[in-house]
Amino acid sequence: MKFRYDKHNKYHRFGRTCVITAISLVVLLWVWWILSIVVQKGLDFNNSPLASPQDTFAALADLIKNGDPMEHRSLSSWVWSSLFKFLKGFVLALAVALPFGLLMGSFKTAKEFLSPWIEILRPIAPIAWAPIFVIMFQATNGSVMVVFVGIFFPLLTNIIFGVEKIDKTLVDAAKTLGASNGQIFLKVLVPSTIPYLMNGIKIGLGIGWMCIVAAELYNTTLSGIGYYVKFMIDNSSYDYAFAGIILIAVLGLLTTGVAEYLSKRISKRMGMDV
Amino acid sequence: MPEEQTLITAKEPEKKPMAEPEKKPAAKQPKERVRADRTDELYKNIPEGDTLMKIDHLRVVYKTDESETVAVDDFTLDVKKGELISIVGPSGCGKTTILRCIAGLLQPTSGKITIGDKECAGPGSDRGMVFQDFALFPWRTVRQNVEFGMEIAGVPKEERTERAMRYIRAVGLEKFADSRIHELSGGMKQRVGIARALVMHPAVILMDEPFGALDAQTRNIMQEQLTKIIQHSARTIIFVTHSVDEALFLSDRVVVLTKRPSTIYKVIDVPWKRPRDRASPEFTALRKQILNYLEVQNVMEG
Repeated sequence: MKFRYDKHNKYHRFGRTCVITAISLVVLLWVWWILSIVVQKGLDFNNSPLASPQDTFAALADLIKNGDPMEHRSLSSWVWSSLFKFLKGFVLALAVALPFGLLMGSFKTAKEFLSPWIEILRPIAPIAWAPIFVIMFQATNGSVMVVFVGIFFPLLTNIIFGVEKIDKTLVDAAKTLGASNGQIFLKVLVPSTIPYLMNGIKIGLGIGWMCIVAAELYNTTLSGIGYYVKFMIDNSSYDYAFAGIILIAVLGLLTTGVAEYLSKRISKRMGMDV
Repeated sequence: MPEEQTLITAKEPEKKPMAEPEKKPAAKQPKERVRADRTDELYKNIPEGDTLMKIDHLRVVYKTDESETVAVDDFTLDVKKGELISIVGPSGCGKTTILRCIAGLLQPTSGKITIGDKECAGPGSDRGMVFQDFALFPWRTVRQNVEFGMEIAGVPKEERTERAMRYIRAVGLEKFADSRIHELSGGMKQRVGIARALVMHPAVILMDEPFGALDAQTRNIMQEQLTKIIQHSARTIIFVTHSVDEALFLSDRVVVLTKRPSTIYKVIDVPWKRPRDRASPEFTALRKQILNYLEVQNVMEG
């Protein structure tokens, strides 16, 4: 029996995606492996900074089972401290961006007044703040603040955009049904902004995750997956460092994946596409 | 179509016939206060056929930096209680502008709009509106959309749901009460829009080309359904349309507007009984007459 690929069959399409992704990952590992050999042999390293895949996965297995080789702290304690800071930064960003976004989206004067601030601060890479924040707020809260800066701007701009994009006829409809300005705000403006907010969250989480890892490189305390990587490199345990990098990638993928999924679900539920 | 029958029930309730285990319903309404969701009661003393709404010398001027455009000028009209009055006019004239002024969504440059002896300033639930593009809240279900106005007016939840369901049934959407708006067809969406306006019992209902976004077939069905609604529960409706056919099919009177600046060219009484026959000679004759006029107006503009 001969198998024919049918692009109109969703199982076939899914299978195709799976096969291609799997091949892609295998090729990636293979390239990594070649590169690790090239670096080690070519640059004549005894302990190559580019750990090979097999060493990395062995280290990862050991890390999961026994914790890190220096402090013997469990993997989860490294990861949790990062996630916890990440979450704090996110909540803080949401708490500040939401009122400011609604305000700037609703009132032209507020937007005109605050826009210069935003335009000046936004292009600064969040991580540029890290050294200052670490001094200002101590290591842990410094990282939180970097995450805050990273997530804040995409959230803010998306909320403003959402408020400005509101369907004016919906406001008219609410008015002819007797709604006051306050009721319009709560029952029309806020719900119609939610899909845009979710979009901002989606983008913000991706940036925030990059920020937390980068900010932790400036840490002086033993906490966070970013610091773990630096710690391992400082101790020349490159295979353990790479194990950490793989974890960072996987966790980043998970956060944005979850945000993407939620955002899609919510937009659909709200009957809107952003 | 089952909904054609159910539409007839759009009338107000014969005070819930089903025995409902009492939950002190009487105590809920202490005095005969008129609520925001029952503004038609304010005018119950005005007999049907008497003037309910007066639009007095309405004038709307749009100003931009370089120019002034008079959109509506000297528009004066008395709307009788219980009638359906259509406004037709050449395309691009200020039909919708007039309606938005009446709704309070647009501040006229001058002129006055009164219901009874109360002057209308700003929007209010005494003037319900049905929009051309439906303007339904996409994050709400059908029932929640119909409940919106009552929610605003503070109607208790049980009454709200019960009333909303009655009107949803009346427009034949009971199977879709918990559906979301994007799951509905255009005709169904507009039926939600109509139910949402009707359920509030506004003194006047404004319809802004409500069937304009629908295909021809759905349009005809909706027109027939609207005819049934107004036959069974007297509602005062101002209906804006660009379709002369629709106006003649539905209205008691048709207001024909001139080209910009819009003012009244003619008010035509349509005395025929409903349901009307679009193919009848007097229908076609009158339609032709109005169309001719509109054509002249359009040609004049070039």
